[in-house]
Amino acid sequence: MASPDQIAAQILSTKSLSVSQPWLNDFLSSTSTTQRNVPPSALAKTAIFRLLASDIKESLSKHRSCTLPVDVCRPNVQERRLQGSIPVQVLDIEDIGTSLWSQIEAIERVERGEAIRGREIVRTIAVGEDPEASSENNRASTATGTASVSGNSGYGPHRLILQDAAGTLVVGVEMQRVEGITLEKLAIGAKLLLQNPTVARGMVLLTPRSATLLGGKIEALDKVWRDGRKARLLEKTASAGD
Amino acid sequence: MARKILCVAEKPAIARAVATHLSGGSFQTHAIRGNQYVKNYEFDFNFGGAWGNCSVTMTSVVGHLTGLDFDRQYRGWMSCPPGMLFEAPVQETVDQDKLPIADNIRNQAKYAKALFIWTDCDREGEHIGSEVRNQAKAGNARIEVKRAKFSNTESAHVRRAALEPVNLDEYQANAVAARIELDLRIGAAFTRLQTLQLQTVVAALKEKVISYGSCQFPTLGFVVDRYLRVKNFKPETFWGIKVILNREGKKVNFLWRRVHLFDRAVVTMMLERCLTAKQAKVTKVNQKPTSKWRPLPLTTVDLQMMGSRFLRLDSQTIMKVAEGLYTKGFISYPRTETDQFDKAIDLKKLIEKQYPDNAWGQYARELIDGKFRTPRSGRHNDKAHPPIHPVSWVSPNQLNSNEKKVYEFVVRRFLACCSEDAKGKSTEIEIQYGEEFFHANGLIVLERNYLDVYVYDKWESSQQLPNFELGESFEPTEANIFEGKTTAPNYLTEPELIGLMDANGIGTDATMAEHIAKIKEREYVATNQRGSGRTSVQELIPTRLGVALVEGYDNVVTGLPNSVSLSKPFLRKEMELRMLEICSGTKTRQEVVQQSLDMYREVFIHTQRRINMLKDACRKYLVESATS
Repeated sequence: MASPDQIAAQILSTKSLSVSQPWLNDFLSSTSTTQRNVPPSALAKTAIFRLLASDIKESLSKHRSCTLPVDVCRPNVQERRLQGSIPVQVLDIEDIGTSLWSQIEAIERVERGEAIRGREIVRTIAVGEDPEASSENNRASTATGTASVSGNSGYGPHRLILQDAAGTLVVGVEMQRVEGITLEKLAIGAKLLLQNPTVARGMVLLTPRSATLLGGKIEALDKVWRDGRKARLLEKTASAGD
Repeated sequence: MARKILCVAEKPAIARAVATHLSGGSFQTHAIRGNQYVKNYEFDFNFGGAWGNCSVTMTSVVGHLTGLDFDRQYRGWMSCPPGMLFEAPVQETVDQDKLPIADNIRNQAKYAKALFIWTDCDREGEHIGSEVRNQAKAGNARIEVKRAKFSNTESAHVRRAALEPVNLDEYQANAVAARIELDLRIGAAFTRLQTLQLQTVVAALKEKVISYGSCQFPTLGFVVDRYLRVKNFKPETFWGIKVILNREGKKVNFLWRRVHLFDRAVVTMMLERCLTAKQAKVTKVNQKPTSKWRPLPLTTVDLQMMGSRFLRLDSQTIMKVAEGLYTKGFISYPRTETDQFDKAIDLKKLIEKQYPDNAWGQYARELIDGKFRTPRSGRHNDKAHPPIHPVSWVSPNQLNSNEKKVYEFVVRRFLACCSEDAKGKSTEIEIQYGEEFFHANGLIVLERNYLDVYVYDKWESSQQLPNFELGESFEPTEANIFEGKTTAPNYLTEPELIGLMDANGIGTDATMAEHIAKIKEREYVATNQRGSGRTSVQELIPTRLGVALVEGYDNVVTGLPNSVSLSKPFLRKEMELRMLEICSGTKTRQEVVQQSLDMYREVFIHTQRRINMLKDACRKYLVESATS
């Protein structure tokens, strides 16, 4: 039978996550005898799966080597480099390259069923513009930042609210495209592993080198977030123009 | 006695034009009893082949001869529940005012060996042709029926059409018959339902007929949709970074690849990181030949869109004027979806005809002297008509001012199609500054080519960029944050609406202008002038009633799975697609009528059940907001 230490070592070596002792004990005691007889690597996989769906405040170690400094948000620090691997979970994601209003319009199109194939409506048309008329590729069209018909895929960049195992909150800014960070793909509660990230003016800079998406979600948070998204956007537009 | 052939055109003017060309100008004109516009023209013509020399009577109808209506007992508004109109028996009868024209065709057919139909070569024309045939057969059951295929009224073209007749296309005629029946049933059922119900709600609607049409409503839907987007819009502040470099006495503006972001703190942080980096590095220097393509051959939709944009005429006027130019033999048939020229058409000959013109004659000459290029081919071909093009030259002083504008546009567009693309050189400089990327673009127009004749397109050289070396570094002169606000879209304009109808499959190119005119006439939509002088445009703004109807119908289907609002294009679009299936022979008229009626009946039942949604919307916009 696998010992808790073996499982913890396994998780650390495959995912760079230091699991919390009480959570691991709970996990092991919740598994049935038959499950406990499987090889440690398989049991570790099950543990990781549960971990990704868990709240890391409960499931991961709060040791300072794998958490954010408590003063990470201080805006008067121009730049600092954090050391090591720090797991965080996503509490919010916003597309700051697209106006709130066009995100709301995109949500409403989905609500009206216009994202269904064959039910799309063409709403804007460039009068007098032959789409092929110039051999220049049209940069402007990708730059206007309007959300696509399918609902939310703006072009980003995205602004995330991240939380570490100790509960410290920090803003993450997608400085370069990071695979998997999109409004529809990234679930609330998804885990992200920060590696030696740069923090500027209290914001963690996310790049493919400094941030790896581990996946997962916290079902309860994700549902509430999605259900309330339109209302939150509407509320924000009320003050955004001032 | 020589054999007699009866020819029937769609309009008197076409009958006269064809008679003139076939007879070489000598024909006798006879009035017909009961209609002052329709004339019979008599002359001889050698049809060649089996027909040989024949005496000809050329006459016309005035559009459709017959109309479809419900049997008498269903015609009164209160005669039956509106839902019954989906099945109530209908009959086709000759319109009262068309009786003398029908008589004339029956009489003339008695002495004729054959009937040549000269209605316009499109779906509607095919159906009118079938109506003419029915009358002729009633006069002479053994009459042989042929159809002349033509797309303009230029002399040689018309004579060839007379020598090479084809058969009437029954499929197309059936598609129109199906459309007529559907428009009648669906239109009458919904019109009666909503009129009777809404009259009781609001005093202002008491004496009003609130008509419904399956094209009109989605057309109105687009106008309302845009109106609400404008109304509900909330401006938002955004921030961006701009980088400026002074070099070689020139000021170069570099634009941010991210354009702008909606988070000030993030942009400030990003700018700071640029400034900290100090040096920007040139990561791309792209110089390449570029071109602006000559336009595609002209279709009806394009004529209406470009026309209402550049000629300051509404689409209905443009079509009327174009129709007149076609009838007089100056341009080809103006109702076409085709944006590719057939290989057989002699484009150079058409260009040569423009030599006498003071404005573009010289340009036409240059094309023939070596600058001619084969036009681009678009993706559409209705297999009936070529793209709209000039067929002969006409002196501007023979045209009124609207005709002049439309003719000039058609000619310039045609000459542009046959020209070389405009050529230029573009330069793109990209720099990396900190972690951010910026770019500057330059354009030099080298050869204007088609732009010289197609005055409607603009393509200008930009400011000249100084020299940059790939990999070089420099310190920008300035890097700043700028702030801006998002702006609401504009209200819909007519050219946009035509574009939207086309893109969403509402109406055919031939009928779009009519639907727009209809929703204005019904007072669902009003026009408003934006701006003044040459840049002014007519905006379409819905009336309170227009908004109420759209909101009401949208609410009717809210929450119903798989049910779509009548204000949306889908139902009509599907109906139009089924018409095409009749035309191609894959579906029969009866199948299509049944299927389409079933779709609309379902919405009708929902509407009846949830009529309060419609009433509430009318109350909201016509009573409450009218008094507040």
